[in-house]
Amino acid sequence: MWKFILRRFFVMIPQLFILSLIVFALAKQMPGDALTGISMDPRISPERIYELREKAGLNDPWYEQYGRWISGIIHGDFGKSYTHKIPVTEVIAERIWNTVFLALITLILTYLFAIPMGILSGRYNDTWIDKIVTGYNYLGFATPLFIFALIMLFVFGFSVGWFPTGGSVSSKVDAQTFEYYVSKLHHVILPALSTALIATVGTVQYLRNEIIDNKFKDYTRTARSKGIPDNKIYTRHILRNSLLPIAAFLGYEITGLVGGTVIIETIFSYPGVGQLFISSIGLRDFSVVTAIVMMLGFATLLGTLLSDIILSLVDPRVRVE
Amino acid sequence: MKGESVNNIQLAKRSPSGIKIIWQELKKDRLAFGSLFFLLILLVSVYIASFMMDQKAIARVDIYSIYLSPSERNLLGTDYAGRDILGQLIFGTSNSFTISLCITSLTAFIGLSAGLIAGYFGGVVDNVIMRAIDFIMSLPSTMMIIVFVTVVPKFTVTNFILIMSIFLWTGKARLIRSKTLAERELEYVQASRTLGTPHWKIILSHILPNISSIIIVNFTLNLAGNIGLETALTFLGFGLPESTPSLGTLISYARNPDVLENKWWIWLPAAMMILVLMLSINFMGQALKRAADARQRRG
Amino acid sequence: MGLLKIDDLKVHFPIRGGFFRTIVDYVKAVDGVSFELNEGETYGLVGESGSGKSTTGKAVVKLNDATSGRILFEGQDLSKLSFGQMKPFRKDIQMIFQDPYSSLNPKKRVVDIIAEPLRNYERLSVGEEKKMIQKYLDKVGLSPDSMYKYPHEFSGGQRQRIGIARALTLKPKLIIADEPVSALDVSVQAQVLNFLQDLQEEFKLTYLFIGHDLGVIRHICDRMGVMYRGRLVEEGISEEIYENPQHIYTKRLIASIPDLNHEMREKKTNLRKRVAKEYEQNHSKYFDDLGRAYDLKPISNTHRVALR
Repeated sequence: MWKFILRRFFVMIPQLFILSLIVFALAKQMPGDALTGISMDPRISPERIYELREKAGLNDPWYEQYGRWISGIIHGDFGKSYTHKIPVTEVIAERIWNTVFLALITLILTYLFAIPMGILSGRYNDTWIDKIVTGYNYLGFATPLFIFALIMLFVFGFSVGWFPTGGSVSSKVDAQTFEYYVSKLHHVILPALSTALIATVGTVQYLRNEIIDNKFKDYTRTARSKGIPDNKIYTRHILRNSLLPIAAFLGYEITGLVGGTVIIETIFSYPGVGQLFISSIGLRDFSVVTAIVMMLGFATLLGTLLSDIILSLVDPRVRVE
Repeated sequence: MKGESVNNIQLAKRSPSGIKIIWQELKKDRLAFGSLFFLLILLVSVYIASFMMDQKAIARVDIYSIYLSPSERNLLGTDYAGRDILGQLIFGTSNSFTISLCITSLTAFIGLSAGLIAGYFGGVVDNVIMRAIDFIMSLPSTMMIIVFVTVVPKFTVTNFILIMSIFLWTGKARLIRSKTLAERELEYVQASRTLGTPHWKIILSHILPNISSIIIVNFTLNLAGNIGLETALTFLGFGLPESTPSLGTLISYARNPDVLENKWWIWLPAAMMILVLMLSINFMGQALKRAADARQRRG
Repeated sequence: MGLLKIDDLKVHFPIRGGFFRTIVDYVKAVDGVSFELNEGETYGLVGESGSGKSTTGKAVVKLNDATSGRILFEGQDLSKLSFGQMKPFRKDIQMIFQDPYSSLNPKKRVVDIIAEPLRNYERLSVGEEKKMIQKYLDKVGLSPDSMYKYPHEFSGGQRQRIGIARALTLKPKLIIADEPVSALDVSVQAQVLNFLQDLQEEFKLTYLFIGHDLGVIRHICDRMGVMYRGRLVEEGISEEIYENPQHIYTKRLIASIPDLNHEMREKKTNLRKRVAKEYEQNHSKYFDDLGRAYDLKPISNTHRVALR
């Protein structure tokens, strides 16, 4: 077991290395570097700029620059933001908790919807309740997140006015008070709900299929022929087998959320990392962009790692491959 | 294999090919069949209309007719520059669909080649391809695409299609590989090898036809997904360039809260168009999936 | 002179394990097997599943790679050839597969299935090809209009005949029949076996017949080899082995054949008990400390046994 986890961990190291190389190469491709602002200034002579570039190490071979860059990252130094004039880590730190909070609420909602829906439609398949869930699944599967989120914002944000249409907290409340947290929750519900209602579809589908599959397995028949009541068969046997893989998908779910944050935070003007990413690209603040890509890339790699590990704990067959 | 009735034996040239079974399943599923019919009509009229309309006239800025609500002259009103929404909707639909089709075809080609090669040959080749797939799949693809789009020196539609394809072939390759792997173990493939049939011929003329139904299903579902992805990226401002308006372009006007709240005619029709396209393609895809998966086949 | 000579053939599959997925051990599917096939005879390989008999057969047609040893076909060593270099020899060595359901591509018509080897080796016009296929369909007892049907329209026995027709089209010298009847109904088995024997006479074929049913093997094979855990434990003329088995494994195999005769039943039970006892008492006479069978030693000109 430990061998599998350890090996899986070691697989991640080259992945991280390649990721960092790609991000570094992309960063080099991005127009402008730390001294672009200065070199536009006519009062500074080209010789002086060259000197500055030399000093900043921008004329060194790429691998030396990469070495400095990566060792900085390992020490938590992502450089400085051009627009905010403060270290990138601080810019991101301001936003990261908003994103984590949003992701957490989204995950909770996703499973809150998925598990009852999946169980009901799997257990009572081909009844009216299953038809409703399946129909919902069809629609959810075909609806792109950004359109659904826009419509949600239009209806519940603007038309009905139940939820705020932007920001992460109302400016009228004081920090650390009870109202402050209520306001935070109020702001996060609509984006989280929009994502969860779409994201839940995959899990519902999977759970339903798992339950239907398990329903006709021999072990279920054995249990039934022994006279075990149906309810008990479900709680003791079928659900246990069907829910475990769902738990394992947690990590992949996180990976999926990372992609969604960019869209959802932009639509709801929610000040998280995803929105920061889009606005930084607009502002050409590339040190922030690279830092975010590197961080979220790391997060998705971790998500996949997490799922692989849970999956191997749950299902020993995975370990063999 | 589908249980063919006895009298079919007389029909000597009848083929139980995947495509035929799929077609018959589709006809049985009224919703899917209706979707196909609807989609064909919609696309044909959109393509004809976009062919006949003058794109320059639609792109012309008219400051005297900014943000007009729907009227007889502009059936769906106008945008911030006084441009007709209906015209943009038609161009957007044809552009979005064409480009998604290109992306889907390209990723299908790459995914199919990689999946077939990895699955059939196995060993080191398989290992290398699978490691690459695992890696690309564990990247935050939306973000990577956005960064690539920003960084690429000359941003064109072709480049956009290529960038999208880099990140979107992996799922398909993985699926095809696992199917090929299962197919390779069957004795008819081994038989072909003992009969002196070269590898490429075994792959193309034996394995490929046997996984064709899965390829078609996957292609359909991917097509719908890619329409969503392309419009989402354009919505964010990192998709199709200005010169090629997409459905996402129209929706992106809704990033302005005033448009979103008060000028529904600008973004809602495009949003509905995407929904309708994706829904009908998905209905077909799901029906095809049931057809390909004998377990779920409807009688 | 021998048509096929297998000399100390070994087929080992690596088992990977440990941290870096390095090779930690091998499955010795075939571990030093030697025997010879003469032209025109039928040679049987028997053994339980996992004994390596199929792997041996597949190594001859290069569906498995030989780890070491030689596979001499008409004096030419096949074991070192690549997939491509093997092509000219495939014409002479054909195979009949075990499962008539998976061994025919469900998406191909019978005509394409049977013509596949022809199209690989010969350039025939459409008309010639058609005539050829009709001829072989006739030989295996199928009507000419089966040509445009698909495999799923046939029964298991008929499918196996299609597989046989496919193997015949290149006029091979050697046919490896890998349990050709074990997936068929018992009622059809004898029919297909007799038919294989008829073809042998007509086309001067040599068979390497792989099976797990000693009764079937004795019925159709001139000579046979008994395999156990990748090794030959006894080899020689079928009749001799069946009547006078020397190795304990062969004895057990023979004892396990069910007898329909009522009076014989008790005798059979006693025989089984005797053999089981002998197995326990004299284990070291037949297997070394690692449970591996010894090398074959001749006890007569036509009979070799793996004894210490």
